[in-house]
Amino acid sequence: MSASLLFDILVTGLITGGIYALVALGLNLQYGLMRVLNVAHGEFLMLGAYVTYSLHMGWGANPLLTILVTGPAAFVAGLVLHRLLYARVLGQAEAREAIESRSLLLSFGLLFVLQNTALLVWSADLQGYSYLATPLHVLGAVFPANRVLAAGVALGLSVAFYVYLRRSLVGKAIRALMGEPEGAQLVGVNLTRLHGICFGLGVAMAAVTGSLISMLFELTPFVGLPYTVTALVVVILGGLGNVAGSLLAALLLGVVETVGVYFASSDIRLISSYAVLSLILILKPSGLFGR
Amino acid sequence: MRIRRRDFLKATGGGAAAAAVLRGRAWAQAKPIRIGYTLSATGPYSVGAGITQGTGYALWHEQVNAKGGLAVKGEGRRPIEYVTIDDRSEIETAVRFYEKLMGDDKVDLILPPWGTAMNFAVAPVANKYGYPMIGPTVSSNKLKELSFPYFYAILQQPDACMGAFTGFLKELKGQGKVSKVGVAYVNDLFGIEMHSSLTATLKDTGLEIVDTKSYPLGVKDLSPVLKGFKAAGADVFLGLTYPPDNILAASQAKEVDFNPPVYLAAVGTAFPFYRDRFKGAEGVSGIAGWNPKMKNPGAREYYEAHVKKHQKEPDRWASAFAYGSLQILERCVGEVGLDRKKIKEMLDATEFQTVAGPIKFAKGVNVTTPGMVGQWQKGEFEIIWPKALATAPVIIPKPAWA
Repeated sequence: MSASLLFDILVTGLITGGIYALVALGLNLQYGLMRVLNVAHGEFLMLGAYVTYSLHMGWGANPLLTILVTGPAAFVAGLVLHRLLYARVLGQAEAREAIESRSLLLSFGLLFVLQNTALLVWSADLQGYSYLATPLHVLGAVFPANRVLAAGVALGLSVAFYVYLRRSLVGKAIRALMGEPEGAQLVGVNLTRLHGICFGLGVAMAAVTGSLISMLFELTPFVGLPYTVTALVVVILGGLGNVAGSLLAALLLGVVETVGVYFASSDIRLISSYAVLSLILILKPSGLFGR
Repeated sequence: MRIRRRDFLKATGGGAAAAAVLRGRAWAQAKPIRIGYTLSATGPYSVGAGITQGTGYALWHEQVNAKGGLAVKGEGRRPIEYVTIDDRSEIETAVRFYEKLMGDDKVDLILPPWGTAMNFAVAPVANKYGYPMIGPTVSSNKLKELSFPYFYAILQQPDACMGAFTGFLKELKGQGKVSKVGVAYVNDLFGIEMHSSLTATLKDTGLEIVDTKSYPLGVKDLSPVLKGFKAAGADVFLGLTYPPDNILAASQAKEVDFNPPVYLAAVGTAFPFYRDRFKGAEGVSGIAGWNPKMKNPGAREYYEAHVKKHQKEPDRWASAFAYGSLQILERCVGEVGLDRKKIKEMLDATEFQTVAGPIKFAKGVNVTTPGMVGQWQKGEFEIIWPKALATAPVIIPKPAWA
């Protein structure tokens, strides 16, 4: 195997993984921290993608810059949703299982509402646009420029968020809640407020990922669900509530999938990712980096 | 280039509702003919259903009722009333609804759902109740083996489509213009059958298949496949695709600098949406069956009425066959009435003239329409193969991606 092929596979894998990282990070904030199993996660990604599409086609907005709109807007929408729906439903839940099952039901309903809203607004036709659809030649290999950009931004945002969690006061409070929920509340961390913020951040990350992938794929109202599934795999792989774990697991999954695609066929993409997941669950059930 | 759900409902459900209101004045009007079907307004099949089939059903409904209804032998004109739901791209939902339509509601006629897999599932039900069904979006060699006497496939089947591809490529090979083919196919019934037909017909053409790759429905990245073809020196890209992966392949081909002299792809290439998405898609070729320049009677009128009603063009493969199947039904009812057994007998014995050309069924499969290859040239999907039907000469090599 030549060095340039190895390089090609590695970079292609990291491109795929970079996008997984951001969408998984959002889900990890919700599921890892709050046990809110948000199966509508991918629908927020889909909405973000459509908003970027509309801004780009309608007003000629630069798709990359639209994340400045979709991100904050999704954050606010997440806050509102949390206040109106999740806080109310989850407030009375005592056990972890109750939170999981109630949030699952709630987000399942949300999934249908969001999909059908998108269907009414944007119709079921495939829609997409070309942005930076040019080849990028690096060291004898060629990569799609738009994918490199999207993955770079996604990875950059993920790393930035990781640093934010480590350094800032809010970040420390979030980590405290992840590690020791009761202890954190004892020292004065406001659970409800932080949950709202985390939910909003999770939604924002999904929407921003959506804005980025709208440069790469055609959109239909049904593009979201596969991303929810991938994000769930990454979160479980990396360990619940483990942000660095999610990041590394996403990149690993991207590379494993790409190796499978190169040496066998695209058909085994899902098989290889589930094989890795099964292996980890058997050998280390708490995830690669779980405690 | 879109069918909105509300237009869809307005044309179908709305029509049914209006008919229900009008029933109060039944003494003034003939009893409506009830025609049942499902189409996917949501889910993965909705893209194709909305472009290819729903538009034709709505247009025909409007045109026939504007004339006072469907002419039934011995009864005069009776208005059409559609009985329909969204099958949500779920095969079991469709099957259940068709069971209800024919078993409980006892509608007068049925129309088919969209897509090969759907039609496969509904055909046995239609057969059981003895309802003739003419499927415009089915392409499968297995149909002949299964033998459902009441099911008719009007579209070109895989052998015909792939025969046209290889005939076209063989001639180019003879001219020394191409020699190496890279084949990618979607790993579901459609892609697998097309692929086996292709390998069978490609064998004795002297063309070399340098690489074959399958990929799953909903694939997110085809760049490894395209890079592989490029590295193997393929001068023909042959994609046995469905619409989403077709679009992905074309955009990624540009992104990885892959522009072979011949670029052929299957479902989706003939959609006007594809042309618009790739700035004309100049030189891209694919499976074809129809364009408004063909000399079939009514082709141009159909095209114009379609654009006028839906503000979008019909696709250049199956749309005209969907409308043509309705023309066939219309003629049958006019000549033999609503007796479904007699309709079947007429379907078996008659050559029909439609906007998609002459159609004659033998053992339930249209044997008149040959496989065709089309190529986007200055905004029209010109038919470039077979030569007898060609509306323009081929452009080779394909120009650079726009």
